[in-house]
Amino acid sequence: MANSTQLKSDALMEQMKLHMSTDAGKQLTKKIGLVYQINIAPKKLGFNEKSFVVDLKKGEVKEGKYEDGKPDATFSFKDDDFIKVATGKMNPQIAFMRGAMKIKGSISAAQKFTPDIFPKPSKM
Amino acid sequence: MAMRELVSGGAACAVPGTSSSSNPLGALANALIGSSSKTQERLREIPTATATTSDGNLYAGVEEPFTAALPGSEQHTLHPNAQGSEFLQGFRAVDQSMFSDAWDDIQRAQIPHYQGATGPTYFPLEKPHLQQDFEGPPQRVLSNFLHSFLHSSQGSAPFRPTSLPVLGLSEGDKQCIRDRSSIMARHLFADKSEDFIHAQVNALLSSLDIDNDIRARGPFPGRFPELEEYWNESQGMKPGPLGADGWVSEFTQHQVPRDDPSMWVQSFERQHGANGWAFEFEHEQSQLASIDQMRGSNISKLAAMEQTRMLAHTLAQNNDPKFQNSKFLQFVSKMSRGELTIEDNQFKPAAFSAPGDWATEYEQQYSGGQSWAGQFANEQAKQCPVCIYWSLNFSYIQLSHGPHGWANEFAAEREQHGLAEDEWVNEFSKLNVNDWSEEFERQVADGTFGDASADNWANAYDEYLNEQAALKQKSETSRGVYVFSDLNPYVGHPNPLKEGQELFRRGLLSEAVLALEAEVLKNPENAEGWRLLGVAHAENDDDQQAIAAMMRAQEVDPTNLEVLLALGVSHTNELEQAAALKYLYSWLRHHPKYGAIASPDQPENLYYADVARLFNDAAKLSPDDADVHIVLGVLYNLSREYDRAIESFQTALKLKPRDYSLWNKLGATQANSVQSADAILAYQQALDLKPNYVRAWANMGISYANQGMYEDSIRYYVRALAMNPKADNAWQYLRISLSCASRNDMLEACDSRNLDILQKEFPL
Repeated sequence: MANSTQLKSDALMEQMKLHMSTDAGKQLTKKIGLVYQINIAPKKLGFNEKSFVVDLKKGEVKEGKYEDGKPDATFSFKDDDFIKVATGKMNPQIAFMRGAMKIKGSISAAQKFTPDIFPKPSKM
Repeated sequence: MAMRELVSGGAACAVPGTSSSSNPLGALANALIGSSSKTQERLREIPTATATTSDGNLYAGVEEPFTAALPGSEQHTLHPNAQGSEFLQGFRAVDQSMFSDAWDDIQRAQIPHYQGATGPTYFPLEKPHLQQDFEGPPQRVLSNFLHSFLHSSQGSAPFRPTSLPVLGLSEGDKQCIRDRSSIMARHLFADKSEDFIHAQVNALLSSLDIDNDIRARGPFPGRFPELEEYWNESQGMKPGPLGADGWVSEFTQHQVPRDDPSMWVQSFERQHGANGWAFEFEHEQSQLASIDQMRGSNISKLAAMEQTRMLAHTLAQNNDPKFQNSKFLQFVSKMSRGELTIEDNQFKPAAFSAPGDWATEYEQQYSGGQSWAGQFANEQAKQCPVCIYWSLNFSYIQLSHGPHGWANEFAAEREQHGLAEDEWVNEFSKLNVNDWSEEFERQVADGTFGDASADNWANAYDEYLNEQAALKQKSETSRGVYVFSDLNPYVGHPNPLKEGQELFRRGLLSEAVLALEAEVLKNPENAEGWRLLGVAHAENDDDQQAIAAMMRAQEVDPTNLEVLLALGVSHTNELEQAAALKYLYSWLRHHPKYGAIASPDQPENLYYADVARLFNDAAKLSPDDADVHIVLGVLYNLSREYDRAIESFQTALKLKPRDYSLWNKLGATQANSVQSADAILAYQQALDLKPNYVRAWANMGISYANQGMYEDSIRYYVRALAMNPKADNAWQYLRISLSCASRNDMLEACDSRNLDILQKEFPL
């Protein structure tokens, strides 16, 4: 709660972090084995971005930019759009077509970025 | 007479008793270009250029004015015969019928006055014809009059207003004449002062009874909607609020704020090409160079361009502004204009690409041989001569200024008027292949892009289209607007609230929703109706509708604690922290027991820590109040302190063990903190108490999915959907689980929301 501009994605990333410790999360590192950096902007793409590294090699989720070289793919989203993509509301390719998702890096790595790598939030 | 006939030399323009049609404006342009007597001589030697005339002659005919129009350019003139025939051969080599047909039609549309040597020619054959007879058919009068205006440029004598018979020009005609003449004047009198030019134009216009006033700057009447549409499509942008007036008026609009009378002249200049036909030659010259290329291998490029152009067209039909601005569409548009080509299955920007420099892009486009305007002309050639005229005009826009000229002019303009121009420039620079398409290019070159990718894209696009209808509704709900069901059987029910309460009690949530909707339609001020409706939606796993209903309940009854808590929970589910915090704090403030703890005024900015501290105080105050523990549990969920949240809910459950929604809250919290096995137990408790609790069924599915047990998750999702087919989240999750479980065979049933098939396949 340190940051005053809370992102919805924070919650999802937190869940992802926990998810990585589960068997299902460990499966991901075997299945995908890539490092993604995800830049989340609160309102406008590219502005006030907060970066997360979803390291599916080591099975880690960290805040901040990737420091051990280059991530396999880097995505930029708006907060809401990231939630939509991660929860399957929006197909990543559609997000890309709409300009809601920007991709840098390897396209083949980007194509493995699918909604099923993220755990789904349960509702109270 | 309509302008389109005037300019295109349509049948209606034909002067009675002659075999040819006249084209006053075309004649104006040609007179302007061919105003040296030397050229007049040559022109007279040109054989009759009818539709059947050999192309070579036509070509020469067009070329002559060009050389004449640029004094001193004769030295650089290319050899017309050699080049011309080569050009035309090239033309034929590409497509025998289409291009030459188009060419013929274009020629006919443009230079009708070359036709019919026996008919009257409107060329001023000799200079002294300054004062012509202004009698006869209107178009002839107009033509002669305009010629006399042109001739005034040769002497330094100012042009004098003349009284003319009534010509019956429409507003559109007048505007066209006004704009064009102003442009021409600027070129004719390039060495004269602005005032002189204005005086000249005003003299001309006043004679024609045209107001040279501000109205001229308004949007152009949508006279050529087809073309403007095409332009918009090709630019990948929609006309927007301006409708058919398209970029022309968009541009004029940018200009309007600057109250400079020369402004619209320039803008029109851009549209029409100041030197008229002259630069067509240049266009053709630039085509010459590329004709060789166009033979053979480039045919496939053309085909690809045509394909993508069609695609761009289709895509551009879509109204979603986001989509309109999407890179993909721009990419396709770019492909369609040949700025990006595919060679050996690799994307390549057309030659000489300098990203960021749209001027060069334009250059490529034209040196690429086949501009979109040309394509358009080809297609439209037979149906619509006006279209040709305009499409050519559009290509002149770019060409007449020459790619560089245009760029320079633009750059100069941009410096002058900053922002507005920048927007325009930005529109254009959007067309750049800069970031991602280069990225693709690289990737494709690496061969990393599998064959399947094309299918993916196609599928994604299909999905996108399917999504559209649903999205409209969704975007409304997300704004907190309640969306009522169509065809509600409970409308007209004598007591829908009682019915709804009964249905809700029996667990028939979707039915209860309908009955309660009927109630709130009947009594919009019934807070209880709205509240229960909200609860039903929440239990039915639809938080958007739940929030919308609860907000209506809160409007009616701002201090209802259940409503405030429900809003806090739903906003927490939607990860909307600020809103959740606001409602939970309101809950505390309006609570009869704890209200005193909170400050009497709702602070502007709520800090989570402050709110949490207050609730902890409240919990200490009365540790046996389950509600305080519930709110605390929700608060800890908000801060993702899941262990504390679980503790709070467990405390509350000791006090309220039969609260099924509390069991679900516990389960959801456990699931979100990856204690999925525990979560499933908690959900089971909730479902034992309330078997039709859709949310709990859906949460079950989520827990199984998060554990990688996709087959199991599918059964729970299907069960939830069987009870509420409107639970969109569950459909989305079901789809993910189906593909993770390699049950792609069921995706179609999922996409078509065919529950019968799914229930049969995945019984629980």
